[in-house]
Amino acid sequence: MPTRWFEDVPIGRVLEYGSYTVTEQEIIEFAQAFDPQPFHIDPEAAKQSPFGGLIASGWHTCALWMKMSVPVMIGENNKAAVGSPGVLELRWIKPVRPGDTLRVRSTVVEKVDLKSRPDRGIIRSRNEVFNQKDELVMSLIGQALTLKRQATAMEAAK
Amino acid sequence: MSDAMADDAPVKLYWEDIRPGLSIETPDYGASADEMLRFARTFNPQPIHADPEMAGEMLYGGLIASGWHTCALTMRALVDGFLSRTASLGSPGVEVIRWLKPNRPGDRLRLKLTCIAAEPSKSRPDMGRCRFRHTVVNQDEAAVMEMEGWLLFARRPSAATETKD
Repeated sequence: MPTRWFEDVPIGRVLEYGSYTVTEQEIIEFAQAFDPQPFHIDPEAAKQSPFGGLIASGWHTCALWMKMSVPVMIGENNKAAVGSPGVLELRWIKPVRPGDTLRVRSTVVEKVDLKSRPDRGIIRSRNEVFNQKDELVMSLIGQALTLKRQATAMEAAK
Repeated sequence: MSDAMADDAPVKLYWEDIRPGLSIETPDYGASADEMLRFARTFNPQPIHADPEMAGEMLYGGLIASGWHTCALTMRALVDGFLSRTASLGSPGVEVIRWLKPNRPGDRLRLKLTCIAAEPSKSRPDMGRCRFRHTVVNQDEAAVMEMEGWLLFARRPSAATETKD
């Protein structure tokens, strides 16, 4: 994946990617480490819960979104991607259950110049995670701190 | 910390018990370099999280945790320090997550949790939601992460249906 500078990414760009099937074992292992609530770690207790069965921790779904996104959005040679100040409007819309296959649609919605750091900007993308039934299970606005080509070229010319 | 949150309190907290102003601070928590590498190589294999040598040459001069790892570690502190004593029913989401400072190997974090609103569910009479401000600080009292979002709780069963645990 070549470097895509701030200037290279247009508002409205849509990327669709990823296919990840999550197993019951992974759901339980993640939750035992990070979110040991009965409906995430105990299939029998989960049946009695309002969810009617085991569901993944929402943070596990976030981590799987990241896992699917890194190769596409950042890759190995994208020198412009320099982290994220955080996430907006994270919504856990439907449960993720064992055997679900997740995919991502990512749409650039806003580009923000930073007065404090003229060499970079924030690219905001609406990220939607769907399951194999094309149901929206999670959405979030991601914020990618992205270097500008112009500033980087000036730096290199010094 | 209220009396209801005392250690080994047998009382389960329902939505009715969790009111604006409720404030909790967890014991400290954190991750080792190995744990950060394991999380990052599974979920977020960018060099700054997954490659100690390259991370040493980068912005923060060393390995830092994936922001999602900090979220996950904080969730564990939230479960152990609060949710395990409540009738928690998960969360519809988080309005904002701010990753403010790096979480480095060995850093000791604490979660400060404050309830700022409580509403009954419009669609589910058996549950309600509470909005919380989360502030995660490190051993230097520097804010590492802030979050604000909703948690769902079961409502207290009516006296008529309440049974002894």
